[in-house]
Formats: sequence, structure tokens, C-alpha cells
Amino acid sequence: MRTTVLRSVQIAMTALIVLGLVCHVQAGETYKLALSLAITGPTSDAGNPYAKGVEDYFKYVNEEKILGDDTIDCTIRDDQYKTDVTKRNFEEFLDMDIVFYLNYSTGSTLALKKDFEEEQMPTIPASFHAGNLVDSNYIFLPIASYSAQAIGLAEYVVKNHQGDTPKVAMFIHPSAFGRGPVEDVEKAIAAGLKMEIVEVVEHGKDLDNTAMLKRLMSKGVQYVICHTVQSPVATVLKDSSRLGLTAKSFGEKEKLTFLGAHYTGGNDLIALAGPASENFFWTTSYTLTSEPGPGTDFQLALAKRFGRDDKAANSHNYTNGIMVAQVATEAIRRAKARGAKVTKESLYEELLMMNGDKAFKLDTTVGPVTYSKTDKMGVDTLQLYSVTSGVFRAVDKPFSPEFVGKI
Amino acid sequence: MTYFLQLVVSGVVVGSIYALSALGFVLIYKSSRVLNIAHGQIIASGAFITYALKVFLGVPIVLSFLLSLVITFFLAMSVERIFLRRLIGEPIISVIMVTIGLMSIIDGLIYLTPFGTENFSFPRFLPQTPLSLGGVSISWTQLVGVLITAALIGGFSYFFKKSTLGISMRAVSDDQLASMSIGISVPKVFGLAWAAAGLSAAAAGGIIGNITGLNFDTLHAFGITVFPVVILGGLDSILGAVVAGIIMGLIQQFASGYLDGNFGLNGTADVLPYVILLIILLFKPHGLFGIHEIERV
Amino acid sequence: MAANRWLATGNYFTSYQEEQRIFFTHLDRSVFMVFIALLFLWPYFFTLSNKYMLVIDNILIAMVAILGLNLVTGFAGLISIGHAAFVGVGAYTVASFARVLGDSHVVVTHFWPLLILLAGCTGAVFGAIVGLPALRLKHLYLAIATLSFQMIFTWTINFMRFFDQGQTISVGRVFWFFGKVARKQHYLFWYYVALILVIGIGLMIRNLMRTKYGRCLVAVRDNDRAADAMGMHPGLTKVYAFAVGGFIAGVAGALHAYLYRGVGIESFSLHESITYLAMAIVGGLGTLHGAFWGPVAIKMLDLQVEHLAEVAGEMLPANMNLATALRPLTFGLVIVLFLMFEPRGIANWWRIVRSYTKLWPFRY
Repeated sequence: MRTTVLRSVQIAMTALIVLGLVCHVQAGETYKLALSLAITGPTSDAGNPYAKGVEDYFKYVNEEKILGDDTIDCTIRDDQYKTDVTKRNFEEFLDMDIVFYLNYSTGSTLALKKDFEEEQMPTIPASFHAGNLVDSNYIFLPIASYSAQAIGLAEYVVKNHQGDTPKVAMFIHPSAFGRGPVEDVEKAIAAGLKMEIVEVVEHGKDLDNTAMLKRLMSKGVQYVICHTVQSPVATVLKDSSRLGLTAKSFGEKEKLTFLGAHYTGGNDLIALAGPASENFFWTTSYTLTSEPGPGTDFQLALAKRFGRDDKAANSHNYTNGIMVAQVATEAIRRAKARGAKVTKESLYEELLMMNGDKAFKLDTTVGPVTYSKTDKMGVDTLQLYSVTSGVFRAVDKPFSPEFVGKI
Repeated sequence: MTYFLQLVVSGVVVGSIYALSALGFVLIYKSSRVLNIAHGQIIASGAFITYALKVFLGVPIVLSFLLSLVITFFLAMSVERIFLRRLIGEPIISVIMVTIGLMSIIDGLIYLTPFGTENFSFPRFLPQTPLSLGGVSISWTQLVGVLITAALIGGFSYFFKKSTLGISMRAVSDDQLASMSIGISVPKVFGLAWAAAGLSAAAAGGIIGNITGLNFDTLHAFGITVFPVVILGGLDSILGAVVAGIIMGLIQQFASGYLDGNFGLNGTADVLPYVILLIILLFKPHGLFGIHEIERV
Repeated sequence: MAANRWLATGNYFTSYQEEQRIFFTHLDRSVFMVFIALLFLWPYFFTLSNKYMLVIDNILIAMVAILGLNLVTGFAGLISIGHAAFVGVGAYTVASFARVLGDSHVVVTHFWPLLILLAGCTGAVFGAIVGLPALRLKHLYLAIATLSFQMIFTWTINFMRFFDQGQTISVGRVFWFFGKVARKQHYLFWYYVALILVIGIGLMIRNLMRTKYGRCLVAVRDNDRAADAMGMHPGLTKVYAFAVGGFIAGVAGALHAYLYRGVGIESFSLHESITYLAMAIVGGLGTLHGAFWGPVAIKMLDLQVEHLAEVAGEMLPANMNLATALRPLTFGLVIVLFLMFEPRGIANWWRIVRSYTKLWPFRY
């Protein structure tokens, strides 16, 4: 026992020393960034490709000398989705003098919000929870918040619904992560969105949702807006398709049309639900490899270059990871171009200036990243996708929800 | 009325899966008095083995399901041999903790495979259109699940009632010393109990995996879900596990069917079993069919 | 009495009182005092990075929690698979004050010692309530009762708007005589608070075990029918064990809330309960200093594995799975190996080392 521990310490030490030497050889400055996320534990199916995306993009930046001789050193730590571990990682990152921080879960982002404020650390989390931005100056969401996504879906329903006021149910995760957007959709309705929320369903670990689905049908529900993770959505979709309740086209009468926000969709949903995922509507701000374009070409090339498997390469969470790394790199590049020293303060200013002419246009998302003092949501536009023959296809053009500004 | 009937049917379906999950748990407890916390992990590995055989090796689904039963049978047996054999006679806490340790180890092993973090779903092999009778519907997957459950439970009951081995297992659960004195090898019986539990867990895993898709978190959560079921049924009764499983399935369906979304309540199906559990523990601690071995203290 | 009270080489007790002494020899006492003094003084000579201060604080808080768990599970023999929930009760007591009054209200920031005490009391109340089934239940069934408390606790917090549905409720920075405890001193400050509490509660338990109230716990654990025959009430004794355990857990929870300056449900999940049990077992159940070894061992192991995983990740860039698998694997292996080869935990190694040094240079 003791020898193994000693051995592992030795290995760790040697590796650190070797790493240190390697770093010394390189010319130019090294900017320290850090990411703490759930590579194991809950939500690791999303965290895993996310980490790969961040890692690969920074490697690419260093190898292609995008920042000239300067390099980015991004430490990636697993926090198992535990806030306590995230906090410890963050303290360590502070000791390492990082200039930019990437965080992951809603829980840890909210828990560390005060620390980000005190440390004035620009932070991009992987959680798009609107609550992250309350009383906060240093948290920047990469794309539209879950609330904005839910409102966007609701608006799409209202616009494309035929007949009277559409009756909608919300199928959400039993946590603040899931409940957050419900209030905001309700606010949007109060602000004039013509829609009725018939029921809000918080799912458990149900093996059979027949009862729930029949109840929704009996209440005349036609649309279900999901905001949770893939697995429960997959179960509902399977049950619904088994009962023959899933709409064949958007808004089919007497049937249910399912729509979902960022974390409900992606290839994982198709993997879990199989053919039952057909005609599921999903919104996110990222480009998908099923709709090829310059962004996805780049993504696939990157994945190939660093030997990632197909699953990771095509995951939208991989895109997500690449995108936040791109934003961080861009902020550093601009700070350098401006002639400023790259510090957390200058990067923070740089992020705040990313608007108007200086909005950051990138290929991996459907719109430009804009940040300002009042707008901490990166990509404001959303793209709707739906599953057709087992892949997500784009529906219409990218749009930005109107009611987000009205609530 | 159809709504009610649908709830009953769904409840029975879910309940029989609970029963099957609980069965393995009860088998181990019945013979060796071990509370196996790692049961959920065994369920998950059963599902993953089936999938791996089917998709990675191309074995036909029925055969891969049966093969996975055999594999987990021997896996569970070796788990007993390696880890638990040494602990016979140790205090309960040690045994519980060993199964907790096992849980972590199996977690770790599963993280070594793609199944740890990624999602998969079984290829479809049953008809897609559900069976439907008067507005009440049940999918083929569920129906097959229920049938397999019924077959396995029937098989085990027969085994315990009639076969010599089964009777010797019951003897051991009754009185270890006495059964040793008549020449039953107690360690062998323990090994067999684990093996049988592994088998039923793999069956449960295969069925659940077909219904929910293969997500490690979802699958291993079943290890904890069976607690209320086995307590309600009585920890050492197979009949109890079946009845309690179905009761629990019904309760959950009724809770989510009638309570959720009505009184500002939500997700009651998840917590209700534990509330019931506490109530049972207070008023009828040996469950519905358990042996009345608990003395008042 | 032996003539030499500095170096006792054998058992020279002539009265029960002597056997119940906390320190058998003057040497023991002096070494203990020096050790405690060192614990208080080292921060003046070294400065550790915040990360390691946080780790140390965390270990100390875990020690407090384990002292409680050890009392319930080790001394009284009641398996608790819901200890993290009791810790959570304490933390959420502080959180509810912060929620009602605001996180920087004077009660939260100035009267924190009182709140820590109050958190302990709430923990005790909940402990007693969960312990109630002990009036009828034994062994496994009791363990499952604590498990269901864990589940119900998690659900309740997740459900209630008052507790922000399990999201972090922030708790403000506290004040001490020198003013606000700023970021720089935060971890050092809570190091001292936690250290004092660990020592205090440790001594309290040591003394408790010398009284009839402590001994009756052990008596009920070893044979409840015999204990009953000797006039103890086994059921009530168990309830009281849960209450005391709950109190200590509550204190640990309040400390956790203040150290992390926030309370979220993730820190009090079933997984944490299991980790606490593992710590208690690795440390050594039913021994006082087991409660100190366990948290150190498990938390340090966790850190080491993390480093190792990182190195493994460097070497196998395309495959992170090995790195992610390492943590549960080692955690499980440590528990299983300890149970199989050293069921009495690290405390037993300590005992062996002690008896060896005491008798040295002789073998017995």
C-alpha cells in the first residue's frame, strides 16, 4: 500500500519536472487557463466530449502558433460533478495564477459565483442557466440561456401553431436546472406570448410514462417542451411513439410534438431513443456535423488530428468545448493585438468589448458571440433542428427569441 | 376508466421489472444474510454484456441475452469467492461495506469501457406497434420483459421448492449450523446464491436496458430503487419480492398519474417508495412476507 | 502504582480510576500537548497554498463528521447510511438563517458560533427522529431506515423553494475580533475553528466513553439483551446515540457551510454518506483516533489518485477512460482490502506501533 502511494508520488513528481522542463524550452509567454468539469460521475456523457473539445482546440492553437510564440496551458481537472471538488480545483487554479477560467455545472457555477466576483475572474461555464447571471459580472454564458432557449421554442410553437392558443406541457429535470426556465416562460406568457402552460411535469426515474402521456393528451396538450438531460427524454419519446402519440409533422392535431433545449438533444438522444426520436425538435446555437459547413469541417478535422473517435467527433458537446476555447483564445489574441498585457483584467475588458463591430464571428455557432456590460449571453441566435431519418436537420434559419428582451 | 386501467397495466409492467431486480437481492440475502449494495452495478453490467455481445460481436439477440446470463452467473460466483468468502462471520457493517467497495470497483471497471460515459440503445428486434386492447396499450418490449420475469421467478420458485440444491439453500438460510451438520457445504450455497442473483440481475439489466436505453447512471440507480421493494416484501421472501415489486410499481404509477401536477406536487413517484419504506419500518418491519425474526429491543 | 509515571512498561493499574485515565503516562500527555501545540503553531512557520489549506480544512470537518459517525456506528453499533444527510441538516440550518435574514445579516456573520451550536441541536433533533425506529428495529433494518432518511432529505431539499431547490445558498463572510475574515485569512481562520472543534469534540467523546452513558452504548452494541437485563433501555440508548451523532454531524455541517460560504445539496448526497462510512472503516470503527486517521487517509488517497490520473491522462491522450476509472477503482479497492486484511482499520496499525515503541527494545 505505502509503496504504491510512494511510487505514484514519484511518478507524479517526475512527470511534473519533465513537464516543467518542456515548458522552459519553449519561447514566448504561456497563458494559464483552467477547466474543471465532470469527466466522471453524473452528466459525464456531456462532460467527456466537452473536455476533449477544449483540450484539442488549445493543442491546435499551440501547434499552429495562432498566438505566435505564446502558448496556452489549460489545466483540465475532473470534479465528478461535485461542487466541493470544483471549489478545491478553483483554489488551485488561483494559486497557479490563471487568467481565464472555464467552469461546467450549474451547481458549481452558482456556488462559486461569489468567488468569481471577488477574484474578478472572467468565467465561461458550460451551464447556460439564466440564474448564473443574476448578481454577477464575471460569468459569461457561451450561448443563449436555457430560458432563452425555452422561450425560443415557445415562440416557435406560437408562430407555427394552427388553431387557438397552443396548449403546452413542460417536461423538466427535478432540480433548479430544470425549473429555472419555467418561470421565464411564464413571464413571457404574461408579457403577451399567446400560449398556455397546461402542466409542468418533473420526471423521476420512470420506466413507463404511459400515465403521464395519457394525462397530457386528456388535457389537450399538443406540445411538450423538454428541459432536462437526454435519458428521460428518450424514455418519454419511446413511450410516446409506442402509444402512437408522437406527431408525424410539427403540430399535428391530437398528437404530441416534442421540443427540447440544449442538453436534451444531440446524437446521444438518437443513440438512446433510436427511431422514436424522429421528429423531435431541438434548439441550440451550435452547428452540427449532420449539417456540414465550415465549422463542422473544422471540428471533424480537429477530431481526426487528435485521434478522437466518431462519437466524440460528432458530439455537439465537443463543439461546445471547442467553441468556449475559441472564445478564450480570441480574447487573448485581441488583448495581445491591443498591446495589453494578458491578465484576467484585460481579458475581462476584451470580453466586454466583444460587440458591434468587434463581435466575434466563428463557424462553430450559428451566430456571432456578443458580450457587453448588459449582455452576458454569447451567441444570442438559436437554430432549430429536428430529427429526420435518424439525424438532426436544420429547420428554418437561425432566429433570436423576441420575448427574452421583454421579460 | 381507461386511464385507470392503463395505470394498472403500466404499474404491473414496471412492478414486474422491480420484482426481477429485487429477486437477485433477495436471493443473496436469503441465503447469506448479505445486503448487496452493488446490485445495481451487476444489473448494469448484465445489460452492457448483452449489448456488447449483440453489437460488438454480432451474436443474435436471444443468444447474447442468454450468454450474458451465463457470464454474470459465473462473474457473480467469482465475486463471492474472491471478496465475500473471507468475510463469513464478520460483523454486518463489514459485509455491507465490502459490497459498497465492490460497487466502486465495478464502477471503475465499467468506466474502463465505453459504457461508462456514453449512451447506447439496443437495436430493435421486436415489433414496433404496441399491443392495444380497449385503449390500454403495452409494448412488445414490456410484454417480453414481463414474460421473462414471470418465467425466471417461476423457475426460481420451482428450484427452491423441488430441487435438492434449492432445498439445501433454504436449509442454509434457515440454520447454517444445522445444515452444515447434515453435510451441506455452506460456502458452496453462498456462491450459488450469488450466481443466481447475478443471473437474475443480468436478466433485469437486459430488460431495463431495452426500455430506457443504456445509460450507466440510469441503470445502476436500480440498485437503490429495489430497497423499498425488498423491505416491503420482506428481505428474505421471493414471493414478497414479486408482490411488493408489483405493489411498488402500481403505487408509483398512481402517484405520478394522480398526484403529480395536481397539488403542486411533482416527482412524487421517486420519493413515495421511501416514505412508504419508513412507514413499513415503523409498523411492520419484517415486511409483508418476511420471517418474523426481528425481536423488539 | 508504578513508581515511574513517565515510562510505564506494563499494566500497573491498581484501581478502576487509574484504568480510566485519559493519559496513562506523563510522556503520553506531554507528547499529546506538544502535538497539539504544533498543530496550532505550524501555520506561523509555513504557508500552504489555498488549495491545500482547503484540503486540510476539509479533512478537519470530515473528522468532526466522522467523530459523530464513529459514535453511532463504531461505539453504538448502529449502521448509518445517511450520515451526510445529518451533516446536511446542520448546513441547511445555517443556510435557512442566511436565506431568511440575508447572507450577510449580522446574525449569520457575527453570531456564527451560536449558529454552529444551533446547527448541532437541529442535527440532534433529526438524529433522534430518525433513531426512533431503533425502538423497534435492529441491524439491517435500521441501516435501511437511515438510507431512506437520506433519500427523503435529498428530495425535500430539491423540492422546496425555500432551500432554493438544492442550489447553492450563499453564506456571508464572518467577523471575528479583528474584523471581517477576508479571503486571505479565510482558510486559516476556519482551520483554527475546525481544529478547536475537533479537539473539543474528541475530548468530549473520550470523556463520554468514561462515563456510564458512554459505556452503555458499548454494552448495547455488544449484547443488547444483556444490557437490557442490566437495567439499560436499549431502544432509548440507540435513540440517544443517534441524537449525539446527529449533533456532531450538525456541527460539521455548519462548519462546511461557513468554510465553503455556501450550501448546496450536492455536498450531502448518498455518495457522501458512503464516503463517510468508508472513512470510518478505514480509520477504524469503535476507536476514537480512527476518526482522525480515516478522513486523512481517504482524502489524501483521493488527491494522490487525482495526480496519478492526470499523469495517466498525459500518457494516454486519446483515451481518458483509464484516468476516470482510477478514482472509483482505488476507492473501492481500498475499502475492500482494508475489510479483508485489516478490518480494524488504521487505528490498529497505530496500536501496533505504539505497543512496539513502548516495549522497545524488548519484543514483549
